[in-house]
Amino acid sequence: VVPFEPIRRLLLALAACGLLAGCGEREPLLVFGAASLADALEAAGESWRAAHPEAPVDFHFAGSNDLARQIAAGAPADLFVAADRERLEAAERADLEAARALLGNELVVVRSHDLPPRTVSSARDLLAFERIGLADPEAVPAGVYAREWLASQGVWEALRERVVPALDVRANLAAVASASVAVGVVYGTDAATGSLGASVSVLYRVPASEAPPVVYWAAPVAGGNPAAARFLEYLEGPEAGAVFRRYGFRHLPTEPEPDGG
Amino acid sequence: VAETVRLTLFTLGVAAAATAWILPPGIAVGWALARRGWRGRSAVEALVSLPLVLPPTAVGLGLLLLLGRTGPVGGLLHRALGIEVAFTWKAVVLASGVVAFPLLVRSVRSALEEVDPRLLGVARTLGRGPAATFFAVHLPLAWRGVLAGAVLAFARALGEFGATILVAGNIPGRTQTLALALFQRVQVGREREALVLAGVSAALAFAAMLLVEWLSRRRERTLER
Repeated sequence: VVPFEPIRRLLLALAACGLLAGCGEREPLLVFGAASLADALEAAGESWRAAHPEAPVDFHFAGSNDLARQIAAGAPADLFVAADRERLEAAERADLEAARALLGNELVVVRSHDLPPRTVSSARDLLAFERIGLADPEAVPAGVYAREWLASQGVWEALRERVVPALDVRANLAAVASASVAVGVVYGTDAATGSLGASVSVLYRVPASEAPPVVYWAAPVAGGNPAAARFLEYLEGPEAGAVFRRYGFRHLPTEPEPDGG
Repeated sequence: VAETVRLTLFTLGVAAAATAWILPPGIAVGWALARRGWRGRSAVEALVSLPLVLPPTAVGLGLLLLLGRTGPVGGLLHRALGIEVAFTWKAVVLASGVVAFPLLVRSVRSALEEVDPRLLGVARTLGRGPAATFFAVHLPLAWRGVLAGAVLAFARALGEFGATILVAGNIPGRTQTLALALFQRVQVGREREALVLAGVSAALAFAAMLLVEWLSRRRERTLER
């Protein structure tokens, strides 16, 4: 008579669901990678999975600054590939003694195909645009590199008010590709990858002489899965090197950076 | 498609777990607030309602400070038991539970208040103790309202975003729910996929609200009788 049974049943059902959600957990290697590595690292991971079915690997991509903060707060990462050295160090738990300079990249100025074409032949030419899309120049490596480039060319102060900051470089590319901003600065590899890359044109490639070198650093995370060191070794090897080159990265372990670059 | 199904199941699972863990404290607090004449009732009421009106990101930041490796609770759990909470599914369950908590408490409170106090008096005069009166008479009579509150909290937990992204991140396959996946798809320009996820979220939310409506309609009828 007393309708208490439904409540008990609901509680039981909820508890069962909660347990199921918990039991769904598996523990493959978890690699935190800079957003710009999304396609290339996935591809390298594919060939790793084929050769090492015993050591599955998962990826999480976001701005390196976000990843560093998450790792410092205890996120269960095993390996961190950051788009600059500073973010690797900010992760606090990255094993800096085992850190490797893994990849090189370049900055490019891009604009949507849907907008009328414009020419940019120097940083100064960006002053002609009302808004400019950057990954957040305060924190995201792609934005920090871009800011350093613009500062070295003496136009940062004039441009800083026009910056539309994005959470990471891929979000910035998406904003440019959808013509939400007239022009943006991303990595050369972003502009060459996927449907977003295909919907923008490169107006200007920032020469090495104008900007700091873009170097991706990788390091195992302290207390993580020991297989991380093996996966990092694989990323340094020639097989992964070929994958990264296919996506337009410079693979530093097999092709050292020229001195004074 | 497989990815959407997996995301949906994960989201339903964590929302259910979130509802489950807040149900006992939610009923307790709702009961306390339904009782009149104690000091500080309004303050507790306001405190409990805080997650309803605070920016969810503020709630998330608070939880992160508490549960991170360097936080008082997170640090203790990590050192003593080796348990990580921040940036795992546990953080998703906690965050969405905290944000949904006020909705549950409010429903429980009004459901308990609607029960005719004479019935409770009768139970007491017939020799039931306060606990027995509550579990055998008061709660059962209010069950539709409690259930509606639980479903409402569940629906809120389904869509939780702000607190979750701060304390649990947006890690595919580990902490990514429908709401977080939707955000990530928009960020990287995969708008078609984002639209599908938005559609799934809307369908789930609609079903949950329909259930809440139906339960409260039935409740009104019960009360009129």
